[in-house]
Amino acid sequence: MRRRTLIQSLVSWISIQGSRLRAQSTSFPGRHETTLKELAATVLPESLGRAGTDAVAIKFVRWVQEYRVGAEMQTGYGTTRVRYKPASPAGIYLKQLDELSLGALAANGLAARRRKIGEALQAANIEDLPMVPAGAHIASDLMSFYFQSTEANDKAYMAAIGKDQCRTLKNSGTVPTALREETLNASLRK
Amino acid sequence: MPRFESDVCIIGGGISAVFAAQKLTQLKPELNITIVEAGRRLFDAENRMNYRRRSLVYGENAWPGDFIEDQGGAGVISRTMAVGGSAMHWQGHANRFSEEDLRLHSLYGLAADWPIEWAELEKYCCEAERRIGVSGVPSPHVEDKRSESYPMPLMPLTYNLAEIKAWAERAGIPFTGCPQAKNTQAYDGRPECQRCNTCMICPTGARYSPDYTYKQLLASKKITLHDRTLIQRLIPDDRGKTILAATGSHAERPDEPVEYRARLFIVASGYAWTPHLLLNSQSSRFPNGLANSSGLVGRYITGHYFITAQMEVNKKLYPGMNEPYPIISREYFRCAPGKPFVRHDIQIFESTAGRRPRLKSESGQFLFGDDVVNDWRSRTEHGVARVRMYYDSHPSRESSLTLDPENRNHLGDPMPKVVHRMDDAAVSREAATQAHIQNIYDRMAKANGTKILSVSKSNYQDHPSGGCRMGTDPSQSVCDSYGRTHDHQNLFVVGAPTLPTGGCTNATITFVGLTLRSAGHIAQTL
Repeated sequence: MRRRTLIQSLVSWISIQGSRLRAQSTSFPGRHETTLKELAATVLPESLGRAGTDAVAIKFVRWVQEYRVGAEMQTGYGTTRVRYKPASPAGIYLKQLDELSLGALAANGLAARRRKIGEALQAANIEDLPMVPAGAHIASDLMSFYFQSTEANDKAYMAAIGKDQCRTLKNSGTVPTALREETLNASLRK
Repeated sequence: MPRFESDVCIIGGGISAVFAAQKLTQLKPELNITIVEAGRRLFDAENRMNYRRRSLVYGENAWPGDFIEDQGGAGVISRTMAVGGSAMHWQGHANRFSEEDLRLHSLYGLAADWPIEWAELEKYCCEAERRIGVSGVPSPHVEDKRSESYPMPLMPLTYNLAEIKAWAERAGIPFTGCPQAKNTQAYDGRPECQRCNTCMICPTGARYSPDYTYKQLLASKKITLHDRTLIQRLIPDDRGKTILAATGSHAERPDEPVEYRARLFIVASGYAWTPHLLLNSQSSRFPNGLANSSGLVGRYITGHYFITAQMEVNKKLYPGMNEPYPIISREYFRCAPGKPFVRHDIQIFESTAGRRPRLKSESGQFLFGDDVVNDWRSRTEHGVARVRMYYDSHPSRESSLTLDPENRNHLGDPMPKVVHRMDDAAVSREAATQAHIQNIYDRMAKANGTKILSVSKSNYQDHPSGGCRMGTDPSQSVCDSYGRTHDHQNLFVVGAPTLPTGGCTNATITFVGLTLRSAGHIAQTL
């Protein structure tokens, strides 16, 4: 009986926590929409222009809102272990946006802001961009969200590679069409 | 207890099972065939584009639901428990073994010969390629002679691969596009490949997966499929010479056993779960499990190790054009008798190693904004190729799958524990094999004046197989060349578990070819 009560309490607690996290996900970024856009303008390529970095910020909001707690995760080859997506990073992100709005993003000038964000990432022991955002820090996760994308890959190579986009087998053998910055930025805002 | 009766009961629902069933229904349409699979059906092809998207942007499992939570084990075991098995998420590399794989003992005094002639198996490889739908071109080596053309033209080389091919061939080694189970034209109701770059989850159906064949067989009412039903034991008759029934339970009714009776049983559960079922069917009469008078069920677990180098290519490449598609060389598939033994393939892929965006510069400074792009761009002037070689590494008897009493599933069955062990000859030549492979990397680098960026050896064996090896001597094998177990006349094992050795290249075509040969023989016996 006591065991059942304990399990019921745990289920109830998880349910309440889940509801709270879901609420944070769906309402993200709440009052921090401007802060998030400022962060995007600080850590993403200036060459995207403000409209471009704002567009990435909006897509990132959708990413957070559509995050699914408990979804099965990809597994490595040859292992039977099952792992599930942890709690939504929305809560951590909101806390970090709070801190950034008062700290790094309040600094004067792009260089100063970036230096302070670097310090925050250093303090969080973040060494590289994750393959997909994983909730360690909103700055590196936002950067990962953009820099691991098809658009960023095309921008780095200045070519219409279209990584992970379906196309036909035609023109497989030809070098990807060279792109100009304006074309790249326009496609990002779509 | 619910009881189901059929002529043929196939246990396991992967690629071997579906082609065994398909061929049997063609040769003997009157047969009543039931396939029993522990996992669920993942037939929602219409959702794959979305699963793929979430896999890319969230790191979610691209095949949600393809597992049973506690049906796992230790060692290299595919997680996939679903109708279609591991071939639901394979990359579609469809190259073949060669005659040397079947003649290791007679040619080199190593491991064991297979009880089948290559000329015969080759025809079944062609049949496998037809049924699966494989695109390719013949190998340039005369020893790789084919009796039929590939069903579809070769997957076109991307710009990247064409450049990499020219780079690699400067070392004097010929390459071709690797045969692919991907459509270069509409085939068997599935469309042409669209180079989506995510072959593990093909959103269009251009890369073959067994669900398409299952759906065809079910639509024409040629088979019965019981999914989410885990077979736990095979039950022999009183004399022990034949299998009477298979018992297990449905995922939603674990306390209610189900029984399958059939004239003939085919275990097509892959390299891990086939020997597991035979061992788990132990009884007072068969304390070592079924089909195990040789003591070799779960033994000679095989596969192949591999070495991978990331190598600089002195041309600008554009990663992302078709990353899962490699070129292949079969230059080292055969080894002259009397020379030190080494056999391996060479597969080369476009790579992004060292060419990804990064958060810190070489000097450890954080990078932001255009600095990330500029740093990334500065590293893209030269491309990178991933050069991987699967090499022949033969198993010892101690390379095993055993039952682990410390790890049980919710039904109380012990789960498998897999340990790969090479035989003494393979261990003794390991250093020479690695030196030979390093020499090829050095040749490629020297021929092009480029750098080897990294070299690493796998710590596991890829494409695992074995565990119920075939042979002519019942004291040295579990089944004959058709997969009929030596101990039980109506019990067959098909596909991966029957391989005595694991070859030095991808194995699916060989698994399916062997299965099709078994199915033809089984049809004659019924």
